[in-house]
Amino acid sequence: MAERNLEQLEKIREVVSQDLLSGRIELLLGWEKGHYWWQSRPLFARSKDDLAKLTWDSFCAVNLSRYLLEELKDHQKVGVLVKGCDSRAFNRLLQDNMVERDRVVLYGLPCPGILDYKLLAAEAGPELKGIAEENGKIVLKTASGEVEVKRDQFLMAKCRECLYPDPVVYDQMLLEPQGKKEAPERFKAVDELETLTPEERFAYWEKELSRCLRCYACRQACPYCSCRECFVEQENPRWQGRAYQPSENFLFHLVRAYHGAGRCIDCGECQRACPVDIPLQELNRKLIKDINELYGDYEAGLDAELEPPLLTYRPDDPAAFSEK
Amino acid sequence: MSTALNDKTTGYEPLIVAFCCNWCSYAGGDLAGTSRMSYPANVRVIRVPCCGRMNPMFVLRAFQRGADGVLVAGCHPGDCHYSTGNYHGRRRLSAFKRLVEFAGFEPERFEVRWISSSEGDKFAEEMEQMTAKIKALGPNRKMRDARWQSVT
Amino acid sequence: MPRTGVFICHCGTNIAGTVDIEKAVEASRNFPGVVHAADYRYLCSEMGQDLIKKAIVDNQLDRVVVGTCSPRMHEGTFRKAAAEAGLNPYLLEVANIREHCSWVHKDIEEATPKAISLLRAAAAKAVLNESLDAPELEVEKRALVIGGGIAGIQAAIDIAEAGYEVDVVEREPSIGGRMAQLEKTFPTLDCSACILTPKMVEAAQHPNVNLITYSEVEEVKGFVGQFDVKIRQKARSVDPVKCTGCGICYEKCPSKASSEFEMGLSKRKAIYIPFPQAVPNVPVIDRDACLYFTKGRCQICEKECPPQAIVYDQEDEIFERRYGTIIVATGFDQMNPSQYGEYGYGQHPDILTGLEFERLFNASGPTGGKVVRLSDGKPPEKVVFIQCVGSRDKARGMNYCSKICCMYTAKQAILLKEKVPDAKSYVFYIDVRTAGKGYEEFQRRAAEEYDVAYLRGQVGKIFPDGDHLVVHGVDSLSGKIIEIKADMVVLAAASIARADSPELGRIVGINSDSYHFFNEAHPKLKPVETHTAGVFIAGACQAPKDIPDTVAQASAAAVKAVGLLSKEFLKGEACTAEVNQAECSGCLYCEAVCPYSAISPVEIEERYQGGTLKRTVAEVNPALCQGCGSCTVICRSGSINLKGFSNEQILAEVDAICLQR
Repeated sequence: MAERNLEQLEKIREVVSQDLLSGRIELLLGWEKGHYWWQSRPLFARSKDDLAKLTWDSFCAVNLSRYLLEELKDHQKVGVLVKGCDSRAFNRLLQDNMVERDRVVLYGLPCPGILDYKLLAAEAGPELKGIAEENGKIVLKTASGEVEVKRDQFLMAKCRECLYPDPVVYDQMLLEPQGKKEAPERFKAVDELETLTPEERFAYWEKELSRCLRCYACRQACPYCSCRECFVEQENPRWQGRAYQPSENFLFHLVRAYHGAGRCIDCGECQRACPVDIPLQELNRKLIKDINELYGDYEAGLDAELEPPLLTYRPDDPAAFSEK
Repeated sequence: MSTALNDKTTGYEPLIVAFCCNWCSYAGGDLAGTSRMSYPANVRVIRVPCCGRMNPMFVLRAFQRGADGVLVAGCHPGDCHYSTGNYHGRRRLSAFKRLVEFAGFEPERFEVRWISSSEGDKFAEEMEQMTAKIKALGPNRKMRDARWQSVT
Repeated sequence: MPRTGVFICHCGTNIAGTVDIEKAVEASRNFPGVVHAADYRYLCSEMGQDLIKKAIVDNQLDRVVVGTCSPRMHEGTFRKAAAEAGLNPYLLEVANIREHCSWVHKDIEEATPKAISLLRAAAAKAVLNESLDAPELEVEKRALVIGGGIAGIQAAIDIAEAGYEVDVVEREPSIGGRMAQLEKTFPTLDCSACILTPKMVEAAQHPNVNLITYSEVEEVKGFVGQFDVKIRQKARSVDPVKCTGCGICYEKCPSKASSEFEMGLSKRKAIYIPFPQAVPNVPVIDRDACLYFTKGRCQICEKECPPQAIVYDQEDEIFERRYGTIIVATGFDQMNPSQYGEYGYGQHPDILTGLEFERLFNASGPTGGKVVRLSDGKPPEKVVFIQCVGSRDKARGMNYCSKICCMYTAKQAILLKEKVPDAKSYVFYIDVRTAGKGYEEFQRRAAEEYDVAYLRGQVGKIFPDGDHLVVHGVDSLSGKIIEIKADMVVLAAASIARADSPELGRIVGINSDSYHFFNEAHPKLKPVETHTAGVFIAGACQAPKDIPDTVAQASAAAVKAVGLLSKEFLKGEACTAEVNQAECSGCLYCEAVCPYSAISPVEIEERYQGGTLKRTVAEVNPALCQGCGSCTVICRSGSINLKGFSNEQILAEVDAICLQR
C-alpha cells in the first residue's frame, strides 16, 4: 500500500485514456506497482485496460523518457508521463537527436520527490507494511501500529537536491506546478572530497569502485547513455578491458562520467540503479560543478536549444591547467 | 634488454607520454632537436594531428599501461592549424583534468601545455620540468593495470 | 599479420652517434609483424631509398617503418619511395629518432632504449595502417571575387589575364570602392581617379571579367574546386542593357537622399549613380527615397528616359553559380568617432573624419573641390588633425594601428596648403609611423616644406567658441598645455572591419580576429590563404592597409586562385574522418565541432524486425575534411574515426610505448 493521491491518479488516467482512445498516442509510458509496495515500475499501456494498472505514488522513480529510445521504433506516437527529471531527460534525448519532438506527447507531473524505502524501513523496522501520505506527512504502518513522520526526511538522495521538480518541457501539465527548489547541498559531497589530499581521494574511490560489478545498470538507466554500442563493449578498439579489477573499474567510471560532461541532467538514475551503492552522482556533479565554474552556468536538459558547453568555446576561455 | 627506465641501480626513472600536435608542439620538439637542446629521455612523444584529437581515454590508457605522467601539448589558443581544435581541446581537457584529480591523481600527473613550433626552448623546458615533478612524486600506481608487465 | 620492414637511418653520426643502431635493429626484429630489419648510413639518399624499395619487393613487405629524422622532414620522401615500390604510401610510418631522440639526448644508454621504444610504437601503429587515397576533386574553372574595390579589381584583372573567367560581386551600384572616394594618393600624389578609373574600365571591358554590381553573396556551399554560391542581385529598377548612361534620369529626378559616396556631406538623387565615373554607368533607383515607390506618383525618370530603360517592377534576382575559388576583398569602414565624446564629432559641422575631409578636395565633391568650412563656406586658416582616433586605444579595446592615417594626414595637410596657402596645419600624434617606400620622405616634406606642425600629444577636449573650435591638448614632450583656436578639426578615425564582416565570414567560412578583420591562414607564410581551402583574402578586410599593400596582396591572392584553377584535379586530404554508420547514433555532436562543415546528417534505412527503419546518421565529406579529428573525441561511441590517426592506432602506440615498463 502506498497510494498518495487517488484524485491526482484519476485525473491523469482520464486524460491519457482519452488520448489513447482517440489515437493521439499509441502507447503511454507510465508506472505500475511492482512486486513490492515500495516499488513502482514502468508501465507500457496500449489500452484502457492497461491503464487500470497505472499508478502515481511516491515510488515512481524510474525515469521513463529513456524508454522512448526503444518504443519509438515500434510506435508512431508515444505519450510519456514526465516528472521534472523525466522531462529534462527528454530534452537530453531531443538535443542528442534521439527522439522527434512531434512523435511524443509529454504529460507533465510536478514531482514531490521520491521516497527511499531503505530510509523508511530503517525508521519503522522490518515489519513496515505500507505507508499513507497526507499534507507532507507520512504515516508508517507497521504490525504494531502507525507512526507519523515528516516526508522530507525520507526522500531519495537524488530528490533531496533536485532543483527542478516541475517538468521543463511538456505538452500538457496535469498537476499544479510547485516552482523551482533550492538545492544548497548539491555539491556538498564534491566540495568535501575536494578538500582531501589526492591520496585520500584515491583511497576513497578505490574503496567505492572496488564494489563495482560492472553490471552497467548505471548506463542502462541513464538518459545520456544513448550510444548504439557503448565503448565498454567494443572490440575494435578494445577501450575497456573485460577484467574485473580496479584499473578497469576506474576506467569505466571516469569515462562514463566524462561522457556526461555538459550533458548530465543530474537525475541520479545511475546511482539509484547501482546495486552496490556507488556514489556515481559525485562524479557527475564534479563535472557539472567544474564546467559551470569554468565555462558559465549551464544546466543540461533545461533547454534543448542551448548548446552544450563541450560543443562550443570562447576564444578567451579559462583553462584548468596553468596555461592561458 | 636493458632499458634506462627499468634500471634499478640508477634509481627511479619515470615514463612520460607526451601527445603533441603535429603543427605546433611536435614541430617545437623538432626545433628543440635541431637546436641541440637537451631534455630527459623519459619523455616519449606520440604525434597527433591536433590537441582536439586528444581523447581522454588515450590518457587513461597510458596510466593503465604504466605511464607516470601524461602531457598533452598543442598550439597556443588562436593559432590552431584547424582554427578551433585547441579551443575545443582546452574545454575538454580542462574538464578531464579536474576529473582525474578528483579521482585522486596528483595534478602533476596530467598536464596540458601550449607550445608553438618556434618554442623549441619551451618544449625542452616543459619536458625537463614535467620529468622533475614526476620524479619527485615517484612512480604512479593509480589505475596501473597489474597485469601489464614489462616485456622480455 | 602484415609483413613489416624496419629501416633505421644512421644519418651519418647524427643518429648513430647517440643511438646504438645495431641494438635498435636487433630489437626491431622482435616487434610483432616485423619480418625484415636493416640500417643504412643515409636512408634519404637515393641509395637509401633504393635499399627500401628493393627490400619491399624482396621480402613482400606491406608495411614500412623508417627510423629517421622527423616525419615533418622526410615523411614525403619515404612515402614516395614506398609508392614507387608499389606500396600505398600511407602504409609507411616514421619513428622520429633524430630530432626527438638522438639530438636531444647525450647518453647512448638513454637514447638507445628510447629509440627502440619509438620504433616499437611506429611498428605497432604501422600494423594498423591502411591504404589511403587522397580524394581527387574536380575544379570549376571560374573564380569569384567578393568586393569590387581596388583589391577586387586587381585580383579580377590578374585572374582574367591568366585566362580564367572571374565574377566580381560588388554590393554598391558601382565598382571602385574606397579608392574611388580618394582625391590623391600618397606618397606620389597621383590623382586617385586617374589611376583607378582605367583599371575599372579594364575590368569592365575584359572578356573574362563579369561584373555583378548591386549584388551580395547570400550563401556559399561546397568546397575548394566546387563552391556553389548563391548571389542576390538587388533590383536596380533600371534595365542595364537598354540604359545608355545618358544621365537624364538623375538630372530630372526631383527627390533627394544623402549621398553614401560623399560620406553624407551632400545629397544625391533618388535615381543615381554614386559618382561620375561609375562602372557600370547604369543608375539605380533608391526605393526608399523615390517618390514613385514611397508615394506612388512622379515617374518622371520613366517619362524622360530616352531608351525607356526604367523598370519599376524589377525584382531582386537570386542565382546560383559554381566557382573553383573565392577571393574575399570587402575592404573596410571608417569608425564613427561620435562615441569619443571629447572630440565633439557629429556636434559641429567643422569637425570631420579623414575620409569626409578628403571629399572636400574633390572637384565633384560636396564643395566642388573648394576646401571650406561646411559651417560658413569660408576657407579655414587653422586646421587641427588628430591621429589615432579609435586606434592604438587600449582603454577602449581598439589596440591596433590603423596604419594609413599618418600618411593620409600628411597628404591632406600638403593638399590643404596647396589649396589654401594661408592655412596652417597642426597634427596631434602618438607616434608618426611612415614605414614604406618614399613614405618617410613624404611626411618630412609635409613637416618641413608645408609648414605642418607636428605636436606629440593628445587632445582632451574640443569645444566651439564663436566661429572657432578650441582644441585643448597636451604636448607630451614638453608637458605644456596647448590650446589652438582652429577653424576645422579632422579626426583620423580608425579603419575598422565592415560591420557585416562576421556574417560574411560565416557564409564563406573564414574566421576573424577580435576586431572582425578576416584571419589569414598563417601570419607570415600564408598571408592570403584562409583556413578554408580555396578561399583567399586581399586588402583591408584582412587588416588596415594602404593601396600598394592592397594591390600586392590582391595579386598574391590572384596567383593562388590561378594556381588552383590551373589544376585539372585537386588532391584532398587522405587522413580524413570516417563514420561507422551502423554504430553512429546520429547525435551529430561531430557536426557541431567540425571547423570545416564537413559533416552533415544523412538518412539511412536499416532492417528492423522484418521491416526497415529510417534514421539519421552523420556523414563526412572527405573533400571538405582536413583531418583535425575533433569529431572523433566528441563521439562517445567512437563511431567516427580518423584515418591515419585512428583510435586503434593511437592506443597501439600508447601500449607499445608503455610496454617496457
